[in-house]
Amino acid sequence: MTADTFLFWFLAFAIIAGALGVVLMTNPIHSALGLVLTMVSVAAIFVTLQAYFLAGVQLIVYAGAVMVLFVMVLMLFDLKNEIQAFSRGRIRGALKIGSVGILSGLIVGAFAKALIANQALGAKGSLASTASTAVGAIKPLAENLFFNHVFSFELLGVLLLVIAVGTVALSRSKGGTHDRN
Amino acid sequence: MTSMGTTGFEITVNLIKTVLVFLMMVQAVPILVWLERRGSAFIQNRFGPNRVGPLGLVQLLADAVKFLTKEDFVPEKGSRFMFYAAPVFALIPAAIAYMAIPMSVPLKLEGATFLIQGFEVNVGIVFVLGVSSLAAYTILMAGWGSGSKYSLMGAMRASAQIISYELALGLSIVGVILIYGTFNLTDMINAQHGALSFSMFGYTVSSAYLPNWGIFYQPIGMILFFAATFAESNRLPFDLAEGEAELVAGFHTEYGGFKMLMFFIGEYGHMMIASGLMATFFFGGYSIWNFTPQQVYEWLYGLVGSELLANILNTVVHFLSYNLKFAIFLWIFIWVRWTLPRFRYDQLMDIGWKTMLPWALANAMLTATLIFAGSYFIF
Repeated sequence: MTADTFLFWFLAFAIIAGALGVVLMTNPIHSALGLVLTMVSVAAIFVTLQAYFLAGVQLIVYAGAVMVLFVMVLMLFDLKNEIQAFSRGRIRGALKIGSVGILSGLIVGAFAKALIANQALGAKGSLASTASTAVGAIKPLAENLFFNHVFSFELLGVLLLVIAVGTVALSRSKGGTHDRN
Repeated sequence: MTSMGTTGFEITVNLIKTVLVFLMMVQAVPILVWLERRGSAFIQNRFGPNRVGPLGLVQLLADAVKFLTKEDFVPEKGSRFMFYAAPVFALIPAAIAYMAIPMSVPLKLEGATFLIQGFEVNVGIVFVLGVSSLAAYTILMAGWGSGSKYSLMGAMRASAQIISYELALGLSIVGVILIYGTFNLTDMINAQHGALSFSMFGYTVSSAYLPNWGIFYQPIGMILFFAATFAESNRLPFDLAEGEAELVAGFHTEYGGFKMLMFFIGEYGHMMIASGLMATFFFGGYSIWNFTPQQVYEWLYGLVGSELLANILNTVVHFLSYNLKFAIFLWIFIWVRWTLPRFRYDQLMDIGWKTMLPWALANAMLTATLIFAGSYFIF
């Protein structure tokens, strides 16, 4: 076993363990921290694929900003009822785990099918080889984002702005935490 | 950094370097604590620790023994696992991020080249920012795991502050990235060697005395970056997380002994990253005022007359140059802490969101416009 395969299996185990923790833990904060573990491990997987920029962005945006906010908000609220709702009932729990299993099975199946189809078509180069040449550099990424797909990129920005404005508008209307009255 | 290394030799060297950089960081902390206590005493017209050893230097050894022999206390209402995990995790982001900062010219020894840094990352800035942004979790974990109101309030304040100032921090170095056109810290330092000279609008400006450092290209970015790093490392005037008058000691209220010391090392680690990045972005990294490493090497070669020795000396001289700048910034951190009072919470948020963020944005836009105009329009 080389160092790279060891790293891959180690990180894959961390990702799966973190993701399972998100679903199986009863305490929402533990779940959120499990999700953080998954995010960080995914960033580390990006590093082993030499996609350093993606890894850094994953760390800054998801692990560093989004999840910190999640954890903060979870800690701020009193979550006794939610903890009960999460952990109540064996049948519901089994249903939840079952549905998660079906979803992950679907995803894995789709990937496997795509891979087999790719091989059947005799696609040039595996996924790994394209990743190491193109994704690691920032220039191809920037060219894709700001030249080839600039319209959809800007559209996504507008969408995010709409979401932010909408959230503020909703929370300021009736009964929200920022209610005017 | 392509991987852990391909041969056994490379892997061993990388491993040793990792351990060395980590030890350097940890060993710098007692000196910094001593400097902080003596420095604060000097600023406040006191003596500071001066009894144990010469100038009180052995005080820290005595403190370490005290820390190690303290009672291992865990609050009853808290979460035991998180309470123990938080101080351990506090060390990791600071240590890993510091390894990406280059500290000297690569050492060339008969065919082998050793980089004087933990590991080289092609997108150094993104890596350092990404890894050090994970520090917010240790604070949150400590605050939650303590099961105390003061701890939780301190953790909330600290993480809100870190998130708010991360934006200003990230935007303040966009100008730097635009000027040098790279994310790589080594390339940035290479661009700052020698005397100041640049061309714009068809004119070439050069100076015989000033160095080619980033501060002359990005003065606003420098100020914003330095201010934001104070907030990121929870130092005064931004240490709302601690706020002794309101929160006892913030997120580490319940911590004592060695666990407290680990938080300390983490905080100083963030100061070190900030100082290293300040030197790298705006003050030429390891480069020496007005001279390129090649010039220094030739001068040393003329002095000792041996290629091997000149190479080693060149690395050592640049390493000292880097550490001099590094130490100056660390001293400024301490100096500011004992000079300025703490902000109010609303002032803190106003400075972050309404002052620093717009200025950083404006700086980035101005830099982009000037770079574009300076290279396309010739008068």
